[in-house]
Amino acid sequence: MTVFRGQRGLREWDRFDGLMAFAALALVVYGLALIYSGSLRSYDGPAVSLSNPVAKQAFFAVVSIGAMVAVSRLDYHHFLHYAWWLYGASIVALFVLIPIGQTEFGSTRWFELGPFQVQPSEFAKIATVLALARFLSDNGGDARDLRIFGMSLAIVAPVGLLIFIQPDLGTSVIFAAIWLGMIVVAGVQRSHLLILGAVFVAVLPFIWTFTVADYQIERIAILLDAEEDPLDAGYNPIQSQIAVGSGQFFGKGLTNGEQTQLDFLKVKTKDFIFSVLGEELGFVGAMGLFALFILLLTRGIRAAQIAGDIPGQLLASGIVITILMQAFINIAVNLSIFPVTGLPLPFVSQGGSSLLTLFVALGLVQSIVMRHRAYRQI
Amino acid sequence: MSDIGDRRVDPGLSRNRPHGNVAVLRIAVIVLFSILGLRLAQMQLVNGAEYAERSERNRFVVESVPPSRGLIYDRNGRPLVQNASVFVAVITPAFLPEEPGDRYLLYLYLEELLGVPALQIQDTVEEAQAQGLRDGTLTIARNLDRTTALMLEQAAADLPGVTLELEPGRRYIGGPELSHVLGYVGPQSPDEWRVLQDEGYAFNEVVGKVGVEARYEGELRGSPGSATTEVDAQGDLVNTLERAEPEPGQSLQLSIDAGLQRFVYDLLTNTMGEARVAAAVVMSPETGEIYALVSVPTYDNNIFAAPGLDEEFQRLLDDPRRPLLHQALSPAAPGSTFKIITASAALEEGNITPSTGRNIDSTVLEFVGEDGIIYPFYDWRVHGFVDLVGAIAWSSNIYFYMASCGIPQEGIPGLGKDIEQSAVTLGYYARSFGLGQVTGLDIASSESSGVVPSPEWKRRVRSGPLFNPEDRDWYLADTCFMGIGQGDVTATPLQMAMATAAVANGGFLLTPHVAKTIIAADGVIVSTTEPSWDQLPVDEEHLAVVRQGMRQSVVSGAASLAALASVPVAGKTGTAEFTDVDGIVKDHAWFTGFAPYDSPEVVVTVYYDLGVGGTKAAPIAGRIIEYFMENVRP
Repeated sequence: MTVFRGQRGLREWDRFDGLMAFAALALVVYGLALIYSGSLRSYDGPAVSLSNPVAKQAFFAVVSIGAMVAVSRLDYHHFLHYAWWLYGASIVALFVLIPIGQTEFGSTRWFELGPFQVQPSEFAKIATVLALARFLSDNGGDARDLRIFGMSLAIVAPVGLLIFIQPDLGTSVIFAAIWLGMIVVAGVQRSHLLILGAVFVAVLPFIWTFTVADYQIERIAILLDAEEDPLDAGYNPIQSQIAVGSGQFFGKGLTNGEQTQLDFLKVKTKDFIFSVLGEELGFVGAMGLFALFILLLTRGIRAAQIAGDIPGQLLASGIVITILMQAFINIAVNLSIFPVTGLPLPFVSQGGSSLLTLFVALGLVQSIVMRHRAYRQI
Repeated sequence: MSDIGDRRVDPGLSRNRPHGNVAVLRIAVIVLFSILGLRLAQMQLVNGAEYAERSERNRFVVESVPPSRGLIYDRNGRPLVQNASVFVAVITPAFLPEEPGDRYLLYLYLEELLGVPALQIQDTVEEAQAQGLRDGTLTIARNLDRTTALMLEQAAADLPGVTLELEPGRRYIGGPELSHVLGYVGPQSPDEWRVLQDEGYAFNEVVGKVGVEARYEGELRGSPGSATTEVDAQGDLVNTLERAEPEPGQSLQLSIDAGLQRFVYDLLTNTMGEARVAAAVVMSPETGEIYALVSVPTYDNNIFAAPGLDEEFQRLLDDPRRPLLHQALSPAAPGSTFKIITASAALEEGNITPSTGRNIDSTVLEFVGEDGIIYPFYDWRVHGFVDLVGAIAWSSNIYFYMASCGIPQEGIPGLGKDIEQSAVTLGYYARSFGLGQVTGLDIASSESSGVVPSPEWKRRVRSGPLFNPEDRDWYLADTCFMGIGQGDVTATPLQMAMATAAVANGGFLLTPHVAKTIIAADGVIVSTTEPSWDQLPVDEEHLAVVRQGMRQSVVSGAASLAALASVPVAGKTGTAEFTDVDGIVKDHAWFTGFAPYDSPEVVVTVYYDLGVGGTKAAPIAGRIIEYFMENVRP
């Protein structure tokens, strides 16, 4: 086993970023309150039970925080070392998902693993970030070369396509953003990006015709005019708009939102949890949530800034981009400025796979922060 | 690792830190969260109030609560109708699938389940939407049985826009003999809805279609209440916030005696013989209220609430006896019963006096027309010498030819100076007795006015390519036949009953009615139908002579089979010739009379479309009077 310099001492714990961990934890607690409110009418079992969505989420949070601490104790170079294996495993999992995965709402996104649903695309995000960080740093952390630019694109493309055909438009967009963000950090040439952008615009009509599912087109059309079909595809966007808008400045109070409590809002502990927040806690509550996200992301960017080496910097950047884009797209869906797509709100939405992945990712960032001096070349 | 990043080293920065373009991440965070923040501010702060209002509308539903319809009782307080909830299948067009193909599949499924053709459902929905129905509901099938209702309830979960509902329904328990009087309720036609929606009717609310159900719709309906409820996204009730109770409809007490109605119906039904249809009217000569109004054959008005109506309805429409029509409101030649009008007219005009007599020693009277041609007119027997009373009693035709036309070659004047004028005068009296116009009975139905002919009328209706010019001329026979209730004159049994009542009560042509009182839900009487009448232009003394003739007819005349030991009956028979569709001459059997003779309490008119008045109708009338005096008499 490779020995890394970062393992030499445990003084790193002093550098553990408590503020970042606090922000993540606060988001989880925020989420627990919203899950409680959102499941109030559908769940009437005992309070302490794994079938209670709040208790279940809290359980996952504890497990995930444990995972974060465990991962932060490890040198992130271990993960970079196995990056290609993790990346390969993700691709295999996504392939296997095609014939045997569980289909819901016309989309195949997870396995049933005992009582848990495992979403390979969640782990694939981290694996891809690791693979990209590994690849770019192996090549000097410099994406100016056209060959590096093309190769990095070739790493992201298969994963993005496998997820696109599930179909999961939102997650595919996140992969695109991860790649774009990481090569920008790695100093991509603007002309390469412009040419790629032009090619993309040129082939867009073909993608539209042959690969975008009807439901995706419908969702995009609904985004433009939700009122056109208020009881079918337009239902969720309209109801979430009403929920968020009617929350006004202070909100209606937790568990007092009619849109939420009377079931006008669907998937309200997951994709539309932000609408619950908007309705019940209002503009003030949303600003609080934004503040926590900005704090978390700023601390993540700080990690990238102070990272001891290029792979650390790229890894931290990729994780920041993942969290940022996922939060942005989820909230944008709730605000009807992005087509409906099944993305959870990071740290807030109900869901174990998502939570575990996010905290593992935070563990990696912590590992980078804790070891930045060890890898800083003095 | 010391070589990493060499190419990009900015010597100004601290030693060997990686120098990736991290600042771009800060910008991304700021830009993306600014977008979200601005959009949020727009939704919550700028447009928040509007969304809050939409959220309210989402959860509050104002529904109309139908009132319970007023009940209908007979004169003794016996209920004739019940309110019973029925299962109905309801469609909310706004919730149906958008796709026409999906919609039609849903209709096909309903066809299988309910038996209502898919195309019919489609038409109903499209028509309602064309009428501008947006949020309302449509009833597509009523009176579902329990099994079907349960199946629909289960299936409705997968059928958007389809629901099972309970609707106030109506069950008629008075028996089919009351169907024509009570009528029935049913869904509004598009035409009705155009009018009724302004009166606050819901689209699928039932309304009275015919009978007293329709005539007294305004009283029976009551006024709907409303309920403001909080519902969840499935439309299920969460909370009732405000409720305005509906005001129940007013109840109706009829003057009809259900027992008498049943008795008369059974009596007629069992004595039909060759007759295909029959009718009877039993009423008060004092108030105009109807005790019984019977038509044979009848129909079951409960079928209009039942599924599979179309088949049964078509059968009723195809029946040549036309069961949906009330025979007492349908016209026929009145025959000799009309002679009470001719007698009154002749006495009043003075061309006949009570003592005018004639020796009728032949069944033929030869009229010498104005053109010199001899026309033979026949009587039904050799009466010998008869005065007016005897002529009524024995229903002499020749006497009444004389009373209406006069006998020109003997210098005996008719009602007018010539045959046309005589007909016009007789027509005037016939109208005064209520013929040729609807009686105004308070039942919504196709009441016929009958025909009182006149030279002018004949010229009008006999014109056109189907008739020869001479068909339009008024002949001697037209006046003479009219004088004995033949020819073109027709009257309904109800009209003859009213005319008889006017003779019996000394000259008051009453307006008949079946509704006696209207009673509010709390039992307070809201209104009572007061008698209303027109005065006959006939002197009471003259009517007394006619009554005398009618009495004589029962005591020792053509109507003797109507006689009763218990009560003095007076009446007039009629055996009216008519030509049926095959061109064969047949007779209608009539009897119209009253009892007791000296102070009339009841008028009875009996009609069979085939038969002889004296033998078929008269004895039945006697038995009806007998029943009345024993069981109904107030």
